[in-house]
Amino acid sequence: MSSISVSRGRPAAHRRTPGAWAVLAALAVLAVVMLLPFVIITFNAFKTPAEYSGHGPLSVPKGFYLQGIKDFWERVDFGAKLVNSLFISVSVAVLAVILSVLNSYAIGIGRIKGRVWILVLFLLANTMPQEVLVYPLYFLAKKVGLYDTRLSVIIIFTAIQTAFGTYLMSSVLSTFPREILEAARMDGAGRFRILWRVVVPISRPTLGVLFVFFFIWTWNEFFLPMVFLISNENQTVPVALGVLQGQKMMDATMTSASALLGIIPAVVFFLIFQRTLTRGITVGAVK
Amino acid sequence: MLKATKALAALAAGALALSACGGGGGGSSSKELKLWHYETQDSAMGVAWNQAIKEFEAAHPGVKVKFEEKGFEQIQKTAPMVMNSKDAPDILEYNKGNATAGLLSKQGLLTDMTAEVTKRGWDKLLPPSVAETAKYDAKGVMGGDKWYGVPNYAEYLQVYYNKALFDKYGVKVPTTLDEFTKAMDTFVSKGVTPLSNAGAEYPAQQYLYQLALSKADKPWVDRYERYTGKVDFHDQAWTYAANTFADWVKKGYIAKNSSGTKAEDAGTAFMAGKFPMFFSGSWWYGRFAKEIKNFQWDTFLWPDTKLTLGSSGNLWVIPKGSKNKDLAYDFINITMKKEIQNLLADNGGVPVAGDPAGVKDPKNKKLIENYQTLAKNDALGFYPDWPAPGYYDVLVAGTQKLINGTASPNAVLDGFAKPYNENLANTGH
Repeated sequence: MSSISVSRGRPAAHRRTPGAWAVLAALAVLAVVMLLPFVIITFNAFKTPAEYSGHGPLSVPKGFYLQGIKDFWERVDFGAKLVNSLFISVSVAVLAVILSVLNSYAIGIGRIKGRVWILVLFLLANTMPQEVLVYPLYFLAKKVGLYDTRLSVIIIFTAIQTAFGTYLMSSVLSTFPREILEAARMDGAGRFRILWRVVVPISRPTLGVLFVFFFIWTWNEFFLPMVFLISNENQTVPVALGVLQGQKMMDATMTSASALLGIIPAVVFFLIFQRTLTRGITVGAVK
Repeated sequence: MLKATKALAALAAGALALSACGGGGGGSSSKELKLWHYETQDSAMGVAWNQAIKEFEAAHPGVKVKFEEKGFEQIQKTAPMVMNSKDAPDILEYNKGNATAGLLSKQGLLTDMTAEVTKRGWDKLLPPSVAETAKYDAKGVMGGDKWYGVPNYAEYLQVYYNKALFDKYGVKVPTTLDEFTKAMDTFVSKGVTPLSNAGAEYPAQQYLYQLALSKADKPWVDRYERYTGKVDFHDQAWTYAANTFADWVKKGYIAKNSSGTKAEDAGTAFMAGKFPMFFSGSWWYGRFAKEIKNFQWDTFLWPDTKLTLGSSGNLWVIPKGSKNKDLAYDFINITMKKEIQNLLADNGGVPVAGDPAGVKDPKNKKLIENYQTLAKNDALGFYPDWPAPGYYDVLVAGTQKLINGTASPNAVLDGFAKPYNENLANTGH
């Protein structure tokens, strides 16, 4: 999507119409609105609690108070939480991409019977709120002895993300140029060879996008990890952030500090793979 | 990219195999007490219980306390599932009330502690109105005959006031309701809103309920909280509360624009010196003591009332599947000891079995003495949101209407009655 708009935008850049200026202004305002929460969190992360109580959340910090961040890091053993989150998110992203490719190869290119119904089913499963899933999953996990293990969360989210991935990849692959497949078949390539040597390399940008999305989505998951990872040593970053939410009290400065720590990894990951994202979903480009 | 993907896949597969191995071998030895609570480390309870853990380990050589700090929400949402599994802790802090500890006791997930409580004499340390939230009946309603938890601290509401603002406007600390309203009139005439309020959360309903309590008695509270008789939402107490609350908004005692304010904002506004008074719980006490630097402050109890909001704090409960029940009882016993209780008081908490004589700071001493007066007079009236699940939101919506003036007091009381009676019908009382 974005790559299309960028390439179309370029020639117009030399002579901007009033409409383009209006769009630019609107985008600038939107960017400020989006960034404002980050600014406020950053402000409060570096304030002392007394400063926060005395001057409110919107004041600019007077000094550079790092104790909140340091205390939080030690209190929840944040390094270990990072490792857990990274481990779970990477595993889910890799497994879900592999499964999505296999599924959508069968559905999108293999055109198996009943593919529409399978996709509808996946889509339905995707719209299900996690609160509905929680009890069945809990009893299943308990039965097979996976309750309170990271493996349980990896399996659950691999399934959830694969449902979406299959849906998306199937529609992408269903428009995959038939001529290329024909050519490969003429050359004597089998089904697996076509998948690994032809389909996967060509759809790599899309798979990259899926991988980044799966990683970030899994990273930010709160509810199911909270239910399934009850031991502190298994917890992920968002669950660890929840420790600060008291019954009636909230420590605003430490919560800000922890929120800052919590979003940094996802932002860093996003920046690293930003190019993959903007390349977009362009498998159908061969004409 | 392909290479990187392969490496990642290998990494993931390897790690998966690792975690699968680790999953099976997590059996805990009997020489470990698994303890969960959700009080922050520097709060009164956090400090006192940390000390209790040390004393427990000293008294039980070879036993290690495996403490894990939890978030309130995590325990709230996952407790039934956790306690129904083999990964449950041996002892944990849990929220008191019918919808929480009561519900779990009804489901058979908590240990009935009655025998230990009487054997160890904890029942003698706890005044009746504090013990009420630790005991549940077969339907899971508080005030029953069986102990399913032991509270270690208490909480109650009082008026926090800003001495600097009182001096500035020549207002004396009120001892009667009349003086209280006169004091508020003085502030209003000087353009100062006297009461800090938060309409979007618990403070507004606590003002309202306190007004009702000032015209009520203990049987009234029992009828409302424990379903011992018919509740009339148009009786003298409720009518007075709703009318007075609306009146106070009209007179400017409570700000008209406070309907969307959160409790945190109401507290920080008081700490910033924007309001002379804030009626709220002892849970603010420690934070006010630590963070208010710009003015002197003190507290007084709501004037002219026999009852005020308050109850026991959260409970120590022992899950049914706890493998170390005896050790858990020993731990509770240590937290009930005078030294731990006084440590709790020294850090600004309200101990259930503290001794004011052993507390150094005069303000902390007053906090405990006020509590002991309330407990002795059986004056704790609990909280308005306890009787029915989801009732908190009903009360928030009702008080917001009173603040905004979008519904008459009478209509708001009707709005309270409906879900209350529906809950009664559903639970078969």
